[in-house]
Amino acid sequence: MPLKLLTQLSCRNLFRHKRRNLMLLSAIVVAVAGVVVLNSLLRGFQYDMQEAAVSNLTGHAKVLAPGYLDDPSIEKSFQLAKDWRPDVADDQLEGWAARIRIPAVIMSERETRGVQFVGVDPQRESISFLGSVAHRGEALQSAADRRVVIGESLAEQLDTDVGRRLVLITQGADGLNREAGFRIAGVYDADGENLEKIFVFTGIERLQALVDAEVVTEVSVKLVGNGAGESSIKDSLAAFFDDLDVLDWQELEPQAAAMFLFADAAMFIWFLIMMGALIFGLVNTLITAVMERIKELGMLRAVGMRPGAVVMQVVMESTLIMAVGVVLGILVGWLFILWLGEGIDLSRWAEGVEMAGMRSLLVPRLFMNDLVLVAGLSLFFGFVASLYPAWRAVKIKPLDALRR
Amino acid sequence: MADDVVVCRGVTRTYQDDAVPVLALQGVDFTVTKGEFVSLAGPSGSGKSTLLNVIGGLDRPDAGGIHVDGVHLNELSESELSDLRLSKMGFVFQAYNLIPVLSASENVEFILQLQGLPAAERAERAQAALDALGVGELAHRRPGELSGGQQQRVAVARAIVTEPVLLLADEPSANLDSNTTEELLALLRSLNETRGVTILAATHDPMVMSFAKRRVQLRDGMIAEDSARVAVA
Ligand SMILES: Nc1ncnc2c1ncn2[C@@H]1O[C@H](COP(=O)(O)OP(=O)(O)O)[C@@H](O)[C@H]1O
Ligand SMILES: [Mg+2]
Repeated sequence: MPLKLLTQLSCRNLFRHKRRNLMLLSAIVVAVAGVVVLNSLLRGFQYDMQEAAVSNLTGHAKVLAPGYLDDPSIEKSFQLAKDWRPDVADDQLEGWAARIRIPAVIMSERETRGVQFVGVDPQRESISFLGSVAHRGEALQSAADRRVVIGESLAEQLDTDVGRRLVLITQGADGLNREAGFRIAGVYDADGENLEKIFVFTGIERLQALVDAEVVTEVSVKLVGNGAGESSIKDSLAAFFDDLDVLDWQELEPQAAAMFLFADAAMFIWFLIMMGALIFGLVNTLITAVMERIKELGMLRAVGMRPGAVVMQVVMESTLIMAVGVVLGILVGWLFILWLGEGIDLSRWAEGVEMAGMRSLLVPRLFMNDLVLVAGLSLFFGFVASLYPAWRAVKIKPLDALRR
Repeated sequence: MADDVVVCRGVTRTYQDDAVPVLALQGVDFTVTKGEFVSLAGPSGSGKSTLLNVIGGLDRPDAGGIHVDGVHLNELSESELSDLRLSKMGFVFQAYNLIPVLSASENVEFILQLQGLPAAERAERAQAALDALGVGELAHRRPGELSGGQQQRVAVARAIVTEPVLLLADEPSANLDSNTTEELLALLRSLNETRGVTILAATHDPMVMSFAKRRVQLRDGMIAEDSARVAVA
């Protein structure tokens, strides 16, 4: 097939109707840029969702005693060897933490609340929100720290503050209640009120001493990045802790996992809507372009251009303009994302946002894979859009065309 | 015979016009030998264009056989007909049908491109064809920048650049004034005489007929008169 000739004809024909094709091109650019921008915002949303879910003391995978999820108590605990560490390559592992997490009642001089009492090694908690939140007062210093940190909202509810004392009551390993006093080392400010109200932290050794057992209730493992290779770490954990349950973040945070899938679907639907509108315009323009060239196409067939080459000419015209549009569209989308820069401040809707477990700043995230997919699918749709006009072109009988 | 470029035997073509059959060709027997310059005359509607089209493989007869340069057209597929037109035939249309987005030389060259010739040879041959038709200096102009006569010359250059076995021209003078027509005809005659191009031209222009060596007259889809034959049955 004389590809060079066809390319030449396609290019020049695109320039023949500058205005019309410029309008089509702008439509493609706007659509592609729109897809890219929304895509990156949804990816940012997804990333935050996942990050929030994973750092919500979850990790990408977590080891629990069977039945802990239904009845989270000190009875559903297990022992962990001092020198244990997950069997994951260093460059894939972001960190891991063992914790005791049991229900407790917390009392100030004025109020009483139910909370999750969590014993942690603060050095390991870089993998959870505890490692990154701001504290008034002090953060926990070590696994042996005997003080507690509580959330800002809880401090408000209990009408207490840094330096004051609290009493916590929880069940010990023998089934009897333990009661102990703790000084508040610090008050943390997390991204969700729920977290602040639920979690009270102390050193894990202190909590083990309180319940009289050297046990943990969970081991949580966080991988580098967004958790690719999650299933293999799940398998290796399951193989090691063969009598325990190993769950991934989707199982532990089903709501977040569902939102994650929903965002995927939203991206796809948005893409289809934009492309649908675009294809309509593209098909129209191509048919016009074929119809006004009936004589020319008829002549080309008459002097011996094969039907396949005529099809190719229309397909190339469509794919060419689509390709240019995709490149420009991605560029425009990318520039727009750069302009958004640090993200969109959602604090105006902050309450709703925090309830959904997101941060109040939506940071767009651009992934190469997404761009490649958008570009590839757009070109594919450009190709599909050209099929009907190409069929119309090849149906032109040279004789009918020449008689006009 | 080996020297026969076109052989038509009992060629019939019927059009269905509003359910009324129109007998455009009714059993045409007709032979053109190598090197002939034939004019195909006859009143409007006598079947001239139809005969050129079936010979050119642009239309298929309902009955009868057509051979061009020894190839039986009836047996060829659309693509094979395309290839045959590309390799053996040149067309000069009534409307010049140049491609507006290509320059004069590109309008000639693209045929060689379809044939798959290398760029250097293409450029050389296209320029030679344009030179032969006296429009060599206009090679870089686009059709919109050429007069009607100049466009027709470019169209003839396009038709002969492949050195076809057969040149088919349908009313080549229809859009030209008499001076330009005369120039064009002189040109066709010299192509015929110096290069031995076989030419079949449908026309009702007496000037065209006067330049042809052999005159065939069509009437109602039948050959009524043929100067090459002493008598027509
Ligand atoms: N595509 C067509 N459909 C119907 N009738 C046609 C068609 N082409 C030609 N005809 C008819 O066939 C006859 C011969 O036409 P044509 O070969 O064009 O004659 P000429 O070229 O001598 O004027 C005419 O009566 C014409 O109306
Ligand atoms: Mg005619």
